[in-house]
Amino acid sequence: MRTVVLDNEAVQAMTSPRHPKHRVVAAHLEGATTRRRRGRPVEIVVPTAVRVESGWDRSHPGSAALNRFRVHDHALDRAAADVAAAIRTSTSASVADRHIGAAVRSSTSDEIVVLSSDPRDMVAVCAPVEVRVVAV
Amino acid sequence: MRGTIRDVNELAVLDEINRLLDVTDDAAAGALRQVLETLVMESALRLHYSQHPEAKPTLAEVALALAAQDGSPLADLPEVVAAAANAVTARHPDADADDVLLWAEAQLAMSA
Repeated sequence: MRTVVLDNEAVQAMTSPRHPKHRVVAAHLEGATTRRRRGRPVEIVVPTAVRVESGWDRSHPGSAALNRFRVHDHALDRAAADVAAAIRTSTSASVADRHIGAAVRSSTSDEIVVLSSDPRDMVAVCAPVEVRVVAV
Repeated sequence: MRGTIRDVNELAVLDEINRLLDVTDDAAAGALRQVLETLVMESALRLHYSQHPEAKPTLAEVALALAAQDGSPLADLPEVVAAAANAVTARHPDADADDVLLWAEAQLAMSA
């Protein structure tokens, strides 16, 4: 199983077709769909703190298109909050970035890809779990 | 938004399948879920591209994205991937991004 995790920039890019990185993120989603069509399990995940940061309210009518892409929430519940709170990095990572780290640490996928505008921070918050960070 | 009746119908079906997926939580339905989710994702992308044609990535761009997700060296060779996409689609118009990557890898191996 491959899990593709979206950061704030990736969500922002997907939200607006006019965003300069929209096509890049769309290509990643389409790539995931290509693999799924070939029978390889790929899930796309967004930590809920990332949704907060990017302003993705699933209940808002304007989110209908984005909601159809079957991006799964990783909830910031008590356990995830504890893990996120304990993440210490050399940089002052945001709550959303730390939630990405918590989501990665709790994942059972054997392959984790993070789509991010800030690869260095992502590697830091996800450590010691090895992830492939793809710059968008 | 340039919606057609077909788009509206497809949208309604998509939303219904999405609703069903949200209430289907039986592990035995995993395979069906994978198929339905893939169908929904494909349809959602197709609808999105019909409304925003400029947002549709090329086959080479999708292949490059997959190469990056795979950690393949092809991710740093966009010109090789673009050439492979052109060559593959010339012979196989329905080729997908994985076909492109396979072709590109073969070309690299032959030139090594």
